[in-house]
Amino acid sequence: MLLSPWQRILRIGVAWAVVSAFAFPIVYWLTVAFKPDRDIFSVPPRVFGFQPTLQSFEEVFGISLGFEHGLEVLPGGGNFYMLPRLWDSIVVALFSTALAVVIATLAAYPLSRMRFRGQHHFVFWVLSTRMMPPVAVAIPMFFIYKNFGLLDTYTGVILIHALMNMPLAVLLLKSFFDDIPVEIDEAALIDGASRFKIFRKIVLPMAMGGIAATAVLCFIFSWTEFLFVLTLTQTSLKTVPVVSSTFVTSTGTAWGNMAALGAAAMVPAFVFILLVQKNLVRGLTLGSLKQ
Amino acid sequence: MSAMTLRMPRHFISDHPLPWLLPLIAILVVFALYPFFYNIWLSAHEFIPRRRALEFVGFGNWLKLFADPRMWNALWVTLFYTGVCLAIEVILGMVIALLIDSDDPGFGILRGLLTLTLVIPPAITGMMFLLMEDAQFGLIAAILSDIGLIAPQTAILAEPSLALWGVVLADVWQWTPFMVLIFVAGLRALPTDPYESAMIDGASVWQIFCRITLPMMGKVIAIAVLIRGIDLFRMFDYVFVMTSGGPGTATYTLSLYAWQQTFSFVKWGYGATISLFALFIVLLVANLFLSLTKVRW
Repeated sequence: MLLSPWQRILRIGVAWAVVSAFAFPIVYWLTVAFKPDRDIFSVPPRVFGFQPTLQSFEEVFGISLGFEHGLEVLPGGGNFYMLPRLWDSIVVALFSTALAVVIATLAAYPLSRMRFRGQHHFVFWVLSTRMMPPVAVAIPMFFIYKNFGLLDTYTGVILIHALMNMPLAVLLLKSFFDDIPVEIDEAALIDGASRFKIFRKIVLPMAMGGIAATAVLCFIFSWTEFLFVLTLTQTSLKTVPVVSSTFVTSTGTAWGNMAALGAAAMVPAFVFILLVQKNLVRGLTLGSLKQ
Repeated sequence: MSAMTLRMPRHFISDHPLPWLLPLIAILVVFALYPFFYNIWLSAHEFIPRRRALEFVGFGNWLKLFADPRMWNALWVTLFYTGVCLAIEVILGMVIALLIDSDDPGFGILRGLLTLTLVIPPAITGMMFLLMEDAQFGLIAAILSDIGLIAPQTAILAEPSLALWGVVLADVWQWTPFMVLIFVAGLRALPTDPYESAMIDGASVWQIFCRITLPMMGKVIAIAVLIRGIDLFRMFDYVFVMTSGGPGTATYTLSLYAWQQTFSFVKWGYGATISLFALFIVLLVANLFLSLTKVRW
């Protein structure tokens, strides 16, 4: 569409206004993390013009507790020392991502390169696990985990997060493998290379960018997941989203601490998401739309 | 030739898809199929606190489900929420996508900024909006009452007629950018020829949008609606942290109702039944949608 210079300027102005409106709650939340209680609870509410303090961060990161207190965490949240919870989040997200990406890479190769009976149904089965309401998995899984002693363990949460990310990882990686010309495989096959060798030596290196993008998305979805962790853990681990919801205490909600923890959880995710801009839409649509 | 035949067995083994798919099949069987059948088994039982045991009740839970007004309320809330959020997010998403689909300097930054909301844990988004919708200290509540939409000092999330809209607001804020990004990608992939001939023919902007852009964006919109619709239907995080289903039953979604029945009210079997019901609805509607729109993976 051809726009006059004035229309272009108007468009730029409106676009910035709209995006600022979407960015505003994040900015506000970050200011809450630096506000003393008196400024969080000002009436009428104010966004800027406060006395910045690091107290919320110090409590969340255990700086104000001293070293000897830093290592003991009271279950049920006697304090706001959250480094162990950030650690839980990192461990769960890293290991579940690794597991999901390895299994999905192996599975995506034949789905992209081979033709077999029932292939369409198989892909659909994978896709349909993406449709399952998490609660319909979490309820039976609670009892299954209880029987197998996996409740409240890293292994249990890592496995369920890997499952949760499996449809995304498989379908997305399949779409990345589809981008690599199949003639390369065929030429190597004629030269006598085995499928696995082709996979390892040719396809994997060529798909590295796609695999990295898949891993980033799996990491983010594990990082932000709520229902499974809420249901399948009790005291020995909790990820950041779940523990944030427990900051509501009998004396009121610790908004400052919650915002500080939220900020600490958001910033790495922001960095990650900016790294995968190129493949983001493909990832969000499970590989069905290419940018 | 003889070298080829010698290698045949190895080819045969690695050319079969099964070894490649085996780990995936294993994890799907153990963590998706087994829980599914376990859930069906659970729905035919109920925990009897008096005897501290699960007892077989047959179809009892299903009969209870269909006669339970709170379940029908939860289903209605879920469908209403899904429909309202989808409509707002698709329309608003399309408008913003058309606005920022430009090669002018700065628009790349804008698209990058819009991705930020997508990576915030929904539970934390819920908390953000809980604070912003607070009757006294809430920024959104203050703005809404300033422009006269709500009375001053209204606790949005405690007002039966407003609470669900308070949750919708959080959802729309977090997920409209999801639509925008998908639509922008779709718009950028459109061919330019139809637009050029339409402009030569003197078509209006609205005509061009309805006759060219919308039809060509059909598949993109369908995929976005499907994925977002699935996630909306199973929404749990926002209501869990913002309202716990209240006030009354105004914001009970099916997922929350199922979860609470199992874990708060120790109705293990009934909670499982509700979650299965939600699963069947979503599979049915999604399949119908897939076959109607002919979207393929």
